[in-house]
Amino acid sequence: MPITRNFSKVEEILKKHAYDKKNLIKILLDVQKEYRHLPKDVINYLGVALDLPPAKIYGVGTFYAQFSLKPKGQYAISICDGTACHMQGSTSLLQAIEKEIGIKPGEVTPDLLFSLDQVGCLGACALAPAMVINEEVYGNLTPEEVTRILKNLKERKEA
Amino acid sequence: MKIIVNGKETIIKDNERNMLEALQHIGIEIPNLCYLSEASTFGACRMCLVEVDGKDVVTSCTLSPREGMRIRTNTPEIYELRRGILELILASHDGDCPTCERNGSCKLQKYAEDFGIRKNRFSKNKKNTITDYSSPIVRDNSKCILCGDCVRVCEEIQSVGAIDFAYRGFNSQVVPAFEDGLSLTECVYCGQCVAYCPTGALTFRNDLDELYKALKKKKTVIGMIAPAVRVAIQEEFGLSSDMVMAGRLASFLRMSGFSKVFDVAFAADLVAYEEAYEFKDRLINKKALPQLTSCCPGWVKFVEQFYPDYLENLSSVQSPQQALGSVIKEIYARENGLNKEDIYLVSFMPCTAKKHEAKREELEGLVDLVLTTRELAQMVKTSGMKLKNIVPEPFDRPYGISSQSGLSFGKTGGVLMSVLDVLKDDIHISDVVITEREEGIKIVEALYGEGQTVRGAIVYGLGNVRAIMKEVQAGQLNVDVIEVMACNHGCIGGGGQPYPNDTVTRKERAMSLRDTVGINSINSPIENFYMRELYQKHFGQPLSEKAHHILHTTYKPHRRIAETNIEIMPLPVPETEKTTVKVCLGTSCYAKGSYKILADLIESVKSEEWAKNVEVMGTFCTENCGHSPNVLVGDQLVSEATTEKVIEALKTQIVRT
Ligand code: SF4
Ligand code: SF4
Ligand code: SF4
Ligand code: FES
Ligand code: FES
Ligand code: FES
Repeated sequence: MPITRNFSKVEEILKKHAYDKKNLIKILLDVQKEYRHLPKDVINYLGVALDLPPAKIYGVGTFYAQFSLKPKGQYAISICDGTACHMQGSTSLLQAIEKEIGIKPGEVTPDLLFSLDQVGCLGACALAPAMVINEEVYGNLTPEEVTRILKNLKERKEA
Repeated sequence: MKIIVNGKETIIKDNERNMLEALQHIGIEIPNLCYLSEASTFGACRMCLVEVDGKDVVTSCTLSPREGMRIRTNTPEIYELRRGILELILASHDGDCPTCERNGSCKLQKYAEDFGIRKNRFSKNKKNTITDYSSPIVRDNSKCILCGDCVRVCEEIQSVGAIDFAYRGFNSQVVPAFEDGLSLTECVYCGQCVAYCPTGALTFRNDLDELYKALKKKKTVIGMIAPAVRVAIQEEFGLSSDMVMAGRLASFLRMSGFSKVFDVAFAADLVAYEEAYEFKDRLINKKALPQLTSCCPGWVKFVEQFYPDYLENLSSVQSPQQALGSVIKEIYARENGLNKEDIYLVSFMPCTAKKHEAKREELEGLVDLVLTTRELAQMVKTSGMKLKNIVPEPFDRPYGISSQSGLSFGKTGGVLMSVLDVLKDDIHISDVVITEREEGIKIVEALYGEGQTVRGAIVYGLGNVRAIMKEVQAGQLNVDVIEVMACNHGCIGGGGQPYPNDTVTRKERAMSLRDTVGINSINSPIENFYMRELYQKHFGQPLSEKAHHILHTTYKPHRRIAETNIEIMPLPVPETEKTTVKVCLGTSCYAKGSYKILADLIESVKSEEWAKNVEVMGTFCTENCGHSPNVLVGDQLVSEATTEKVIEALKTQIVRT
């Protein structure tokens, strides 16, 4: 399914926040939740509706880690490449992921099921190598383990 | 107020804005890399440290002076800290000074020199570099030190907000939205960010090579010089202001291969004359008021983007640069047996926006090249000729003389006062009173006719204009004419002027221009013999058909957002099997309820049989904002649209296919 939007959701969000530019961050959080990223069209649309320069909204959108300018998958994978994880072989995990779902860090699968990001230290060094999918932390991983987790998620989708 | 500075009791003014300025005013220039007295305080670079009361070391730009404060400006600790900051900045800086546009005028380079930084304790850590050559404003983020001056100038002074900080920490960058090129944004190319950027991260496109190419081809190269150039160029050579600079420059250009050198101030007389009669016509017939001046291309783009409803208020007279271009290519060429294609016309301007203006589709082909004051200075430098030793010569005739009015176009107030001057006897203008409402906004009031009042506003800085336009729209401010200069203090503060280009320097230029104007013995455009001759021989009366053809231009709404197609309900079938309806969601149309039309259409497409082959899309501005809301049905533009109108248009188109 291609990403379509008719701005009715955006209008709802704007109404909820009284079309007030002071609520920009809250508005963006709701947009992020709705589309799992901040689509370019929506940023422009907000620029018009809130009378704000798009550059400002873009700035806020890139500043906070909560926002993403690229679409995020239904399962957003963050693979750690902090020092501890790197030493424990995170590179081989990355290869396993790339092989299983066919995307590189920073990309999304065409069906929007998975997105992949490489991040510095997740704060779970004791569990290195680690990854996070949506909010869940997976630790002490091996490439085989990673492949299995991803296969499970795919099946869950198909079921 | 008394404070103790470096052990000495010192009196400072009670109302100093902060310690940095207080110290500046008593002769201590505290190093700083993010302080701009013209905008809000950012306090990020930490170069401006001072020690307070023997203990804390704090940033002086954020410190409020207090009675009895003991300040030290030069301790070993501060010295060390400043050096550390510079080394850190330099570690992630491009640092290729010899090839940088700001070599010799860069603040970072100056401090590196002052602090004798010869090697760096930190290893080079080059940041991701973004360069943008899409417009006359050139961006090179590898030289950016993130001082934010440009961001604050663009947002606070110009109220445009074309660039802003993005990302965070080490990855921070100053970029336009989506990291697009500036040409796709709301930037009006005023170059005020360029004027205030301390480094070479923001500069303008240097087009000097184009001139040398034209000279080599042995074209008939003709030059013309704007008023603001002659009162600023001397700064590049460390000379004091010079009343005969225009003559030296004319002579220099002739020695450099120009066949003729004309004065843009002549064209300013011409524009003032034409625009005055345009104003008289509107004033008497009470139409399209307030008249908005149109000499400043930065302001014109601003109106096209933000005030499309006011396009008919803009004077349709071209700017002096373009008007002279037009006269030279259309009249001068013919009179002198020249082919206009063989003339290469170069305009020397204080302005970066003029580079853009010359390439506007309505005006293209009149002025071939626009060079700034800084580019002209560069030409002089490479020639080896000493400006001071060049014997001044007059401009060429016929476009070589100008009145006080024409010359004063270089600074704020010049255009409006010239217009009043032209009409003085015609409609009996008297009792002119000018009041300064606030910095950048003056109100002019005068009597005309039989005791009627004419009112005008003189504004500089686009942020100020936005405030004024708000009052005009709300009916709170009643004026018949508004003169706008995008740059603070007018063109003398243009983005192509020498560095420093701050308020102090601009005020000095204004003084020098005042003197240059003062020694001119022609008062009003009416006394400009050659200008009158143009009318006698060619235009007849102001606003005549011929005058319109040569001197006037047109404007059109300009989209703020480059993107044109927004997929809303894509229909994956071949073009021939569907009808596309595109709803404008740009500022004007959105304000007039285009979203409602969109929502209605989506409803119809979802539920109604006739609409099953309709594809719904959106767009940001169809550049027809005066008749918003706009909807494109196939290629048919439905203006002042309602849902009913759009559905009707859709149904007829569907029947046809
Ligand atoms: S040129 Fe003017 S409008 Fe464009 S970014 Fe610079 S300050 Fe803003
Ligand atoms: S581009 Fe220039 S003015 Fe803007 S933040 Fe960078 S260094 Fe400062
Ligand atoms: S005020 Fe003058 S220098 Fe500034 S953008 Fe306008 S025309 Fe150019
Ligand atoms: S390095 Fe991976 S969790 Fe800390
Ligand atoms: S000038 Fe004070 S912190 Fe930059
Ligand atoms: S906003 Fe410009 S045409 Fe709709």
